Amino acid sequence: MTASAVSTDAPRQGETGAATAAHATLRTLIAAKRSFLVPMTVIFLVGYIGLTALAGFAKGFMAHKVIGAVNVGFVLIAANYLLAWILAIIYVRVANAIFDPLAKKALAAMNETEGSR
Amino acid sequence: MSITLGIFAVILAITLAITYWAARRTSTTSEFYAAANKLTAAQNGFALAGDWCSAAAFLGFSGLTALYGMDGALYALGPLMAFCTVLFLIAEPLRNSGKYTLGDVIRARMQTRTSLLAVISGTIVVNFAYLMPQMAGAGVLVKLLTGISYNSAVIFVGASMIVYVAFGGMLATTWVQIVKAILMLAAGALVLLLALATVHFDPLNFFQDAEARYGPQFLSPGNYLKNPFDQISLGLGFVLGLAGLPHVMTRFYTVPDAKTARRSVVWVMFLAGAFFVATTLFGLAAANLVGQDVIRAADKGGNLTLPLLAQILGGGEGTPGGEIMLGFVSAIAVATILAVVSGLTLSTSGAIAHDFYVNWIKRGQIEEHEEVWVARLSTVVIGVLAIALGILVQGVNVAVLVILAICVAASANFPVLILSLFWRRFNTGGVVGGMLVGLVSSVVLAMIGPGVRGADAIWPLVNPTVVSVPLGFLGAILGTLLTGRDRANEERFEGFSRQVHTGLAAE
Repeated sequence: MTASAVSTDAPRQGETGAATAAHATLRTLIAAKRSFLVPMTVIFLVGYIGLTALAGFAKGFMAHKVIGAVNVGFVLIAANYLLAWILAIIYVRVANAIFDPLAKKALAAMNETEGSR
Repeated sequence: MSITLGIFAVILAITLAITYWAARRTSTTSEFYAAANKLTAAQNGFALAGDWCSAAAFLGFSGLTALYGMDGALYALGPLMAFCTVLFLIAEPLRNSGKYTLGDVIRARMQTRTSLLAVISGTIVVNFAYLMPQMAGAGVLVKLLTGISYNSAVIFVGASMIVYVAFGGMLATTWVQIVKAILMLAAGALVLLLALATVHFDPLNFFQDAEARYGPQFLSPGNYLKNPFDQISLGLGFVLGLAGLPHVMTRFYTVPDAKTARRSVVWVMFLAGAFFVATTLFGLAAANLVGQDVIRAADKGGNLTLPLLAQILGGGEGTPGGEIMLGFVSAIAVATILAVVSGLTLSTSGAIAHDFYVNWIKRGQIEEHEEVWVARLSTVVIGVLAIALGILVQGVNVAVLVILAICVAASANFPVLILSLFWRRFNTGGVVGGMLVGLVSSVVLAMIGPGVRGADAIWPLVNPTVVSVPLGFLGAILGTLLTGRDRANEERFEGFSRQVHTGLAAE
């Protein structure tokens, strides 16, 4: 994917410096999102689909008691609720702190391009 | 019964007042489909909670937990985890690249009529598969809760949703969903408080009592879903299917920008998530306080668990407190259905009036006032059709249709959407391939499975998502690779990407 992205994203003939800057900021934004969102998605999928797989294939393990009548299964279910909420908060913080400023920068660079045409 | 009807009459009056108020503010297409993008994150978050928590969530999850223990708790967790996919990958790109519908996103990306038609079919199949069981469920529930006949109940629910949507559009739909969400959460909080009071505010006692009464097997997995792959299918269906449900996508067009879309997802994750956790405790409390025999006697599927629990906590059958609690929870169950079917009707109208009539048949050449008129008219047609289908399927086991709707959303709509957003080479052939393979494999596998054929099943899974999702992706990828490269489309991807990630050019 990267190889083709580089070939088509390379500055075309006649494009201004501002256009190149706009392309570059957009690419930085997409790269930043990819390197953050892929691991986030993998974490929650492993956590949740892993839980359903355990419920299907490791019933004995899930029924193992932890606190009183509460077993491993219910502890993992509770952990998944927390996981979803914590990941959501982390995502919002990163998006506010990193993605939004980058998107703003990319937009500003693009507006400059539009203006110079 | 009369208390339920009384409380429900109040809720109905409020929703009609909202519709009257909203109708005076709904005259443009953008107002009809997207509430003019003016909602706040909190408003959209509450509305999302109202849209996404169907009767299956409000009544069903507690029932499943009361009757099947851990499998019910696992079931209730899925719809929250599903919002992780929506938050990370879908909500903001949708807001940035679309106008009212999934069709708009695919049209902006592919700019071909064939791909638009493919996406319209996906939307209509999913929405009707989802709408039919809601209507049938409404008939059964309203009959159980109020005593009016099945057919009258279906007609009443259908007529109400037509009025909300045709007159008040997205604004009325939104506020009906917000009112329902607030009532649902208030009822949930009250029942939870009363239930916790019976165990000295230590929820661990719910587990202790349930184990003492029903044995450790009750708290172990596998009581409801016997086939391990069905367990995984359920999970996969939720985490990919929610992101492919058109009536949920529509909600992200009601906010002004990506940041608000993001914040509204966080709202719904905490609001609905808290309710889902509570359903597990309701289920265990009901198993202990009401008893599985009484729950089964009232409704085989356990759908009256929460109303029965509320009745006992209010003081029991025949006491004023018990009857008021029963009436309150029952009335909210009806409101829940109204909020969900309204969202479904509006989103189906988007696919039929906006995507198909305006953009496919008329190629976008239509006057603004005419488009709004077509949208309102399509709402009436969809509503009447939903009523007819609801009456026709009386007595048929429609639970499999809910599974099918989520399965098609996960196996056809989701691959097409995610590849459109992020894969440069993805083309019209891929859209058609993904839609066709995802749709056909979901429907065929569900039809030959135990959900439809019972003991005669020639396929072992009730829920085929674990197989149909990879097939849908395969269809999308092969469709792209086999139809040759669309260079013009790939050139345009840069501009589309810019829109997806920054919102430039989004209306």
